[in-house]
Amino acid sequence: MTLELVPVKETGPAAPAPPGSRRRALRRVLRNPLAALGLVIVVVALLAAALANLVTPFPYDRTDFSAALQPPSPAHWFGTDELGRDQFSRVIFGLRASVEVGVMSVALSLVVGVPLGLLAGFYGWLDPVVSRLTDTLLAFPFLVLAVGLAAIVGPSLTIATIAIAAAQIPAVVRVTRSETLHLREMDYVAAAIADGASDAVLLGRHILPNAVNALIVQATVAVPAAIIGESVLSFLGLGVRPPTPSLGIMLASAQPLFRDGPWLVVFPGVAIVLLTLAMNLVGDGLRDALDPREVRR
Amino acid sequence: MWRYVLRRLIESAVTLVLVTIVVFIGVRALPGDPARALAAEESDPETIAAIRAEYGLDQPIPVQYVRYVGKAVQGDLGTSARTRLSVTETIGHALPVTLQLATFAIVVAVLIGVGAGVVAAVRRRTASEWVANSVALLGLSIPNFWFGLMAVLIFAVAYPILPASGFVSVFDNPVESFRHLLMPAIVLGSGLAAVIMRQTRSAMLEALSADYVRTARAKGLGGTQVVLGHALRNSLIVVTTIVGLQLGLLISGAVVTEQIFVLPGFGKLTIDAVFTRDYPMIQGVVLVTATAYIGINLLVDLLYSVIDPRIRVGGRVT
Repeated sequence: MTLELVPVKETGPAAPAPPGSRRRALRRVLRNPLAALGLVIVVVALLAAALANLVTPFPYDRTDFSAALQPPSPAHWFGTDELGRDQFSRVIFGLRASVEVGVMSVALSLVVGVPLGLLAGFYGWLDPVVSRLTDTLLAFPFLVLAVGLAAIVGPSLTIATIAIAAAQIPAVVRVTRSETLHLREMDYVAAAIADGASDAVLLGRHILPNAVNALIVQATVAVPAAIIGESVLSFLGLGVRPPTPSLGIMLASAQPLFRDGPWLVVFPGVAIVLLTLAMNLVGDGLRDALDPREVRR
Repeated sequence: MWRYVLRRLIESAVTLVLVTIVVFIGVRALPGDPARALAAEESDPETIAAIRAEYGLDQPIPVQYVRYVGKAVQGDLGTSARTRLSVTETIGHALPVTLQLATFAIVVAVLIGVGAGVVAAVRRRTASEWVANSVALLGLSIPNFWFGLMAVLIFAVAYPILPASGFVSVFDNPVESFRHLLMPAIVLGSGLAAVIMRQTRSAMLEALSADYVRTARAKGLGGTQVVLGHALRNSLIVVTTIVGLQLGLLISGAVVTEQIFVLPGFGKLTIDAVFTRDYPMIQGVVLVTATAYIGINLLVDLLYSVIDPRIRVGGRVT
């Protein structure tokens, strides 16, 4: 389980990417069969989550006590729970909650972490301040942070998102900072400085765009980790609250029903594993494709 | 060297102070009156006022903070609002459970991770590398709480060969302790094993193509000797660091694992404290966790600088 995020790489090649290299990278990803398979699974899952209202055969909260605790059947593909709710529909809606939290928390961590990393890498005097702040954040294991936040504000999807984002900020700061440190020393940056470019132009036009590859790679690891994080929090009762289905909540409520409905434990878990596995495959493929050192090998 | 140690010590101390402030303010920010929570049922204003004075809650926040830190340094973390027992003692009872679980999990993770990593690096482009890589990817993608639930489902419900829950200390009954902790340790160690495997593999690949390995081969050393004596020994530096850095993952993982296997450890204590809104206890467990975490990071950094002198010469690894 990858909750605590370590930066994927702190010392990057940081060579400025030639134009069009990203499209080439995507094509390289698609040529890698595992990554392509992962991409297909991710796209299908995202579509299903986005169109959950259309693709699910039942509303996620419709109870039917005459069909309670039924094993998988043609009518209920993933079986039903103790209230007779269709598990297939709930898994699809659960996916939606997971993807929302995963994407939102990573976006939030980028919004906060990237500027901090740029500033810390660019202005030496800011570095110790930012480093102490991220160290303080790192001093709280992810779950303790989430638990603390949930204790203060009460558990909710928003709190789960913020807690997961907070846990990921240090890794984002570190990656951005080390990329900035490298890029700052590049000849083309020196040339821009000689040309009289302002700090804002240097950071925004010359450094940030070239740090994007490293950040994309970081994000491909962060999103699946965030999705697992969400399911863990919900499982512990610190994330999504019932009746909104989340894969973690479904697993938590399945725990007492081990003997009577083992399928209740199996399907939501398989959904999480498939999604995160697919995302990791895409991430691995992207990393290979975006890292020039890997290509030469 | 000493300048580096001193700087890391000061940095850690600053972080620790920041952590105590965050924890203290965080708990003060909690909704509800702590005095009322401590008073529980008997809620007449006089009792509450008495409790407020007793705990110093009528003092300004900075004064309360200094008092809290002063007591914490002496090992007094206050009294649980729920059980009325000393927070320090309660944590003292829970900690050994988690430590035994974590130790067992680390052993499992290192054995599996290093073993699989070496195999994957040495037997490149074979079925064994493929299997090792796939298992590592699975280990990273399977949330450990689901892995735990499935393990219980298979090995405790469908084929009852291991107990589904409970804790027996290794000092009371080693055999039963092993039986009770085996599943939780594998579940907790699986993620770590995957990380270790990947790191070992890449470190081994690098080491195997290094000049000193070629020299060793040229001297006529056998394959096993080169792999284990030279390449692996140098790769273990990386592995040690990773284990250190991932201990936080273990702390978070322990919370979930203890919840699934109903182990009366530190993680369960944390979750229970949150759900019963036991503020002194929350404060205590968060403080202990953060302190331990900072301490471990400091230790890993110092160890690392001993192993790899380039770090303290260059100042900071960037």
